[in-house]
Amino acid sequence: MSDRIVLTLRQPLTSALDASRIAADRLADRTSAEIAALPLRYDGQPMPLGELFRVEGERSQHLVLEGDLERAAGIATAQARGTLVIEGSVGPDLAAGLMGGSVLVQGSVGPNAAGALPGASRGVTGGEVVIRGGAGAGAAARMRRGIVVVMGAAAAGAGRGMIAGTLLIGGRAAPPVGRFLKRGSIIVLGGVESDPLFPYACTYRPPHVRVLLRHLRATYDLSLTSEHIGGSYRRYCGDMAELGRGEILAWSAA
Amino acid sequence: MRLNGVLIEDTFAEAFTMRASRVVITAKTERWAREAAVKLTGFATSVIGCKCEAGIERAVGTEATPDGRPGISVLLLTMDKESLPTRLIERLGQTVLTCPTTACFDGLPTAPDRLGVGKALRVFGDGFQASKVIAGRRYWRIPVMEGEFLIDETFGMQKAVGGGNFLILARDADAALAAAEAAVLAIEPLPGVILPFPGGIVRSGSKVGSRRYKKMIATTNDAFSPTLRPLTASALPEGIGAVLEIVLDGLDGGAIQEAMRAGIRAACGTGDAGRVISISAGNYGGKLGPHHFPLRSIMASQ
Repeated sequence: MSDRIVLTLRQPLTSALDASRIAADRLADRTSAEIAALPLRYDGQPMPLGELFRVEGERSQHLVLEGDLERAAGIATAQARGTLVIEGSVGPDLAAGLMGGSVLVQGSVGPNAAGALPGASRGVTGGEVVIRGGAGAGAAARMRRGIVVVMGAAAAGAGRGMIAGTLLIGGRAAPPVGRFLKRGSIIVLGGVESDPLFPYACTYRPPHVRVLLRHLRATYDLSLTSEHIGGSYRRYCGDMAELGRGEILAWSAA
Repeated sequence: MRLNGVLIEDTFAEAFTMRASRVVITAKTERWAREAAVKLTGFATSVIGCKCEAGIERAVGTEATPDGRPGISVLLLTMDKESLPTRLIERLGQTVLTCPTTACFDGLPTAPDRLGVGKALRVFGDGFQASKVIAGRRYWRIPVMEGEFLIDETFGMQKAVGGGNFLILARDADAALAAAEAAVLAIEPLPGVILPFPGGIVRSGSKVGSRRYKKMIATTNDAFSPTLRPLTASALPEGIGAVLEIVLDGLDGGAIQEAMRAGIRAACGTGDAGRVISISAGNYGGKLGPHHFPLRSIMASQ
């Protein structure tokens, strides 16, 4: 058993890689040889993981990915436990259908991060996804439970169809945000456009945001200031075309 | 055994197993957290008449509270595990939920026995409440006129010890009070223990039952009442003009013992030693309570 498993990309990817089998829980009980033999699909062809990645460590719930993975799709799909750290940027469908554990991305992510699997009514149902950079379209779509953090800007469609859970956007959130939102919370620190489907309620200090931001700062060392933690937030209720029990909390000021 | 000339009597305090929860109240300022804590722990001196015992354990710094605001930690104890959630729900609902700017957190998050306190209080939100799971803990957000009240869904419950005590026997009431105040000051900073009576001090210690009134479950401790010395089987030697009691509840026996040691040492060291005659303790012959705290061995150990 090792304290962690490290997969280092041998060469830059030149084609799309289906990396949906790479997740902390799926590798946690395997030897390094078994991990290396894990079949992936690269450029539409089956290929053992070991041909693309150098494998260090085995039998650990802590997984680290190194290298430029912007062409890798579906990392941490349906992961249920364990911790995954990605030391760079990744492609689409990161942590789709995540059920538990945590995924930390040091760079940015492509579209449908922490989203739903094709045809699934629910996206993330548990766990935490933290992206230090920005996110492509549709981050945290159809999330049912869990916490998704995009510290950079979020492209259009963030929080689309969220059922519950929390999406924190540190940068600016491009419209539309939270379309078809049922009950979840979308917290935006970097600005968000007003939306007629999200009428303004009040400006206040939501107590759960304090607890959430302190937890994220302590766990992931995120650059969340005391002004964010103790500040005021404009609360918009919506989506009024849906249940209307969701909210967008837009950071206002300290 | 004598401590600064004060006799430590060869006796023991007898205490009972109780059930306890720890509640951490936070607020915009410590003042408002304390306001809520004072109300929460009001009329909770003894299970004999108050159904529970409660007290402020200590102030909690901003670095140690879940929301980073100043907090006050409270212990609340009952004799049985069935009534603890009831007491918590009615008291938190009436005192902490109502208090401006407060939030309410479980102070025993690792205790396996869980009480659905926030889960019950959430219905005050009349369907507008919402939950959030953060770091594995579910919180309820209850909308109120000021904004939102946040409370943990469940609170931990653990076995605890109630009724630890010691008695300060002095020549007069002033000396007894000065010694008792010193004891309280010494005990207050210690974690895991509360002093549920007013200012931490009891002047009306009781005995079980009554010599005259069948319905009374507790009546005055005439053996330790100086005005009755010629009239009853007094436990007070000549020259004792007043007795005050320190009652302690704690999360475990170790906390009680540590607090008793600190309190007795302080009571014996007030510089008024000539007027504080002895330290004793209340017990029932060892037949009722499973926890015994022998004074001399406590004071002999460090």
